[in-house]
Amino acid sequence: MTTFDLNGKSVAVEAKSTTTLLDFLRVQLGVTSVKKGCEQGECGACTVLLDGLPVTSCLILAPQVDGRHVTTIEGLAENPLMKELRNAFMENGAVQCGFCTPGMLLSSYALLRDNPHPSEEEVRAGIEGNICRCTGYVKIIEAILDAAERIAPE
Amino acid sequence: MRPLTGFELLRPRTLVGALEIMATLEEAQPIAGGTDLIPTFRDLGCKPGNLVDLGLIPELNYLFEEGRYVNIGPTTTHAQLQASNLIRERAQALHDAVDVLGSVQIRNRGTIGGNLCNASPAADTAPPLLVLDAEVAVSSLDDSRWMPLQELFAGPKMTTLDPDELLTGIRFPKTEGSGSAFHRLCRRRGFTLSVVNAAAYVEREGGTCRSARIALGSVAPTPVRINEAEGKLEGKRMTGALIDEAAEACREHVSPIDDVRGTAEYRRDMSAVLVRRALREAWRRAGGEL
Repeated sequence: MTTFDLNGKSVAVEAKSTTTLLDFLRVQLGVTSVKKGCEQGECGACTVLLDGLPVTSCLILAPQVDGRHVTTIEGLAENPLMKELRNAFMENGAVQCGFCTPGMLLSSYALLRDNPHPSEEEVRAGIEGNICRCTGYVKIIEAILDAAERIAPE
Repeated sequence: MRPLTGFELLRPRTLVGALEIMATLEEAQPIAGGTDLIPTFRDLGCKPGNLVDLGLIPELNYLFEEGRYVNIGPTTTHAQLQASNLIRERAQALHDAVDVLGSVQIRNRGTIGGNLCNASPAADTAPPLLVLDAEVAVSSLDDSRWMPLQELFAGPKMTTLDPDELLTGIRFPKTEGSGSAFHRLCRRRGFTLSVVNAAAYVEREGGTCRSARIALGSVAPTPVRINEAEGKLEGKRMTGALIDEAAEACREHVSPIDDVRGTAEYRRDMSAVLVRRALREAWRRAGGEL
């Protein structure tokens, strides 16, 4: 039995060693905001926060989250920083097909949580593990900088 | 959903427990961050057998200085190293490497011991550790020994570890008046293997280079030290022209191959370019002028 905290709720489920955290979340637990892209840890669409840090869930085996905290965008629905990020993404046109968006939001959230006033260069480095094939990143970077300004105006 | 197949996951909580598993179970394969290992499971014919997860073993995760050594536990993540002032100050080349290695997600998961034991010729932590004169501790149930890092590498994706052995420590000496740097070349910043990577270390005495070490990755079957180029610097007055000469010498002492990431010829040229950059930066960091 694998027991862990998913978005603030304790979950106890039988998890096979050969199941990735990504499949475990999507198939067994129905958390489909976590997207399956490359399954190589390159695209970042499957990003979740593990004890608060962004990781690619395709490279983690489900039993390895035993006793840990896993957060997806659902767990941050009411979070003030995530709300600002969501609004900034919408208003800046940072979403096109939307496939990268949950992972992109989680990476952006972790970035702004730890560094509320990032430079553009730091924003680029913060989302380097998340591939977007639509936007060309310009609007995503603008949205993150915009959210940073909204959450902590100088 | 394409499930992975064919392995069991074991999660020992002590080092001795992990070493017992390594000694007794067939096809025991250690796994730390899994960032290099898990993608290979989907390859046809890859049968890991018993995966031994080292992530719950506190004895393998540490970072401290003691006496003349900086000590790093093998399951220390790249993100932990990146955030460490000790590494920033005492191992600049290693800090440069973990700053650009992988992506945020990979650095949060991938470990330094995993990067070394994966034994990729392109491993970004290898050239910095080679120029820092690192040693690695290798342990089995019966024995534990320190050996130079270079002796860990046997070939592309191959180490000299016996099936019952684990990498249990990494250490390198601290030297006053030294500086080091790491440079690499790759297709894009996030998550891509280095086409060539290079690290340099120098010890300065006034305007003279007392000692120099140069290492390159992705230009030979294993990461390599280039002793011939180091010899051109040692005991000499450091100048830009001397650095150029040492960097150019690296061309002749690498044996790169053509592959999807670059041609051998390009790698040979870039070896000189990256070593020049790394040497200049290392010298500047040691307080030297050019």
